[in-house]
Amino acid sequence: MRWAGPAALVVALLVPLVPAGGYQQYVVQVATFVLINAGVALAWDIQARTGQLSLAPAAFFGLGAYAYTIAALRGVPLPVAFLLGPLVAGAVSLGLGVVTLRLQGLYFAIATLAFAEVVKVIFKELPLDLTGGAVGLTAPPLLGGHQTGLYYLGLCVLLLVVAASLAVRHSRLHYAFTAIRQGELTARVLGVRVVRTKLLAFVLSASLTGLVGAYATSRLFFVIPEDTFGIGLSVTALATAIFGGVYTTAGPVLGAIILRSLEEGLRMVLREGYLAVYGVILMLVILYLPGGLVSLWNRRARDAAGGD
Amino acid sequence: MLLAATDLSKRFGGVAAVRRLDFHLDPGEILAIIGPNGAGKTTVLNLLSGVFPADEGRIVLDGTDITRLPAEDRCHLGLGRAFQVVQPFPEMTVRDNLMVGALFGARQRSLAEARKRTEEVLALTGLSGRAAMPARDLTLAGEKRVEMARAIATSPRVLLLDEVMAGLLPQEADEMLAVVRAVRETGVAVLFIEHVMRVVRDLADRVVVMDFGEKIAEGSYRDVTGHPKVIEAYLGTEETGGA
Repeated sequence: MRWAGPAALVVALLVPLVPAGGYQQYVVQVATFVLINAGVALAWDIQARTGQLSLAPAAFFGLGAYAYTIAALRGVPLPVAFLLGPLVAGAVSLGLGVVTLRLQGLYFAIATLAFAEVVKVIFKELPLDLTGGAVGLTAPPLLGGHQTGLYYLGLCVLLLVVAASLAVRHSRLHYAFTAIRQGELTARVLGVRVVRTKLLAFVLSASLTGLVGAYATSRLFFVIPEDTFGIGLSVTALATAIFGGVYTTAGPVLGAIILRSLEEGLRMVLREGYLAVYGVILMLVILYLPGGLVSLWNRRARDAAGGD
Repeated sequence: MLLAATDLSKRFGGVAAVRRLDFHLDPGEILAIIGPNGAGKTTVLNLLSGVFPADEGRIVLDGTDITRLPAEDRCHLGLGRAFQVVQPFPEMTVRDNLMVGALFGARQRSLAEARKRTEEVLALTGLSGRAAMPARDLTLAGEKRVEMARAIATSPRVLLLDEVMAGLLPQEADEMLAVVRAVRETGVAVLFIEHVMRVVRDLADRVVVMDFGEKIAEGSYRDVTGHPKVIEAYLGTEETGGA
């Protein structure tokens, strides 16, 4: 699988250059959505490696998106506003993590879900001139809204998330994350600082999600509470990671490429009802390929240390 | 004294699992805690390693009061623990199981240092041939070995072993005995719980006998096995070993 990463990068670099006639813009747009989905799914996966099921990606995505939009609308230079995305999401996740990461299993999942809903309601109810209420705000585009330029910026954002995922995989953290996931008490007795490690994973994941959120907004040009903080975003993140292969770097990226393309393809062919077919495919893969798509060509992934 | 417990007590609901227990462990010593089922032996190890806190009493490791410290801090100070109910990380290889202990134990190691330590411990415990195997594919004997090896990999000053010989064939138990002796040779003190009396006889410098949460006898293997209270507690059934 050593060639797969570089090969995927070359393909990604070439996407806007492929002559696709009248579909050119559409192809680049779909590819941009793939980058966004891959980024959120991969960021979710990093913290899932500690065995904590977070249903809050939408909250951190939304915080990053709103931080960028509000700052940019108030005259903050766009690159600075962009960096506020990950900073705000990371800072909020630190507070949330301190409170919730002592919770186990389902209780943690529900706490993160509740948090995401609360944040959404807060942004709806805040003063209109700050957040735009239920209607949201129009976001200033980065790079003058240049579609191809924004595609490459998205690719840089995703590469950063990939780099973070790989760095974790090849550091001491990999052993701490996997040990916590597979036996928290045993990990503690072996000296792993469990709460601190989980917090690190949570904040890293949230910051990256906030970065993707800020990017997505600079590309989509708007924020709306129901969409930007929507539960659908969180569900897509974990479905994408599981579909592609959890606890891996390639899995969530591969999952995003295939699921997003599949979604677009089905929508063109079926119009209404495409989501039903999409759902069935998702279910079949999760049922019959618990290691996700990457386990198909890398059986070792499931046998090696907690996923390769 | 390397490790000392004073007046240690733990209750679960109305049941006193450990009652006013006093004992100590000297540097380089191998101490056995024996006693009938339900005597509170595993509870003592849980109190020592910080799985749950003591209700009363004090635990001192080399001059440091560790009574209120969380499990990870105790590990960093040099307490290594192998569980009776083996808990390998199932999806990790044997090697990676040991890596966790080597990386985060009593010595914080870099990846390269931890890899070196891991290979040493794999060799010491006879696991080198199975290093690449996922832990979930091991036999019980293999799991017991990983459980102990992982604790050794943390570079403990005191190794706490909870029935690591239980369920093993005599030859497998002998191999484990050799490993424990080899570890002691490196200056590590060992506190172990065991039902197999042959192991206690061959390995322990000193024996503490517990019954109903209390210490009822202490001394050499010969002393305690001749003690009337001990014979009474066991009703003679386990004297010949085997558990």
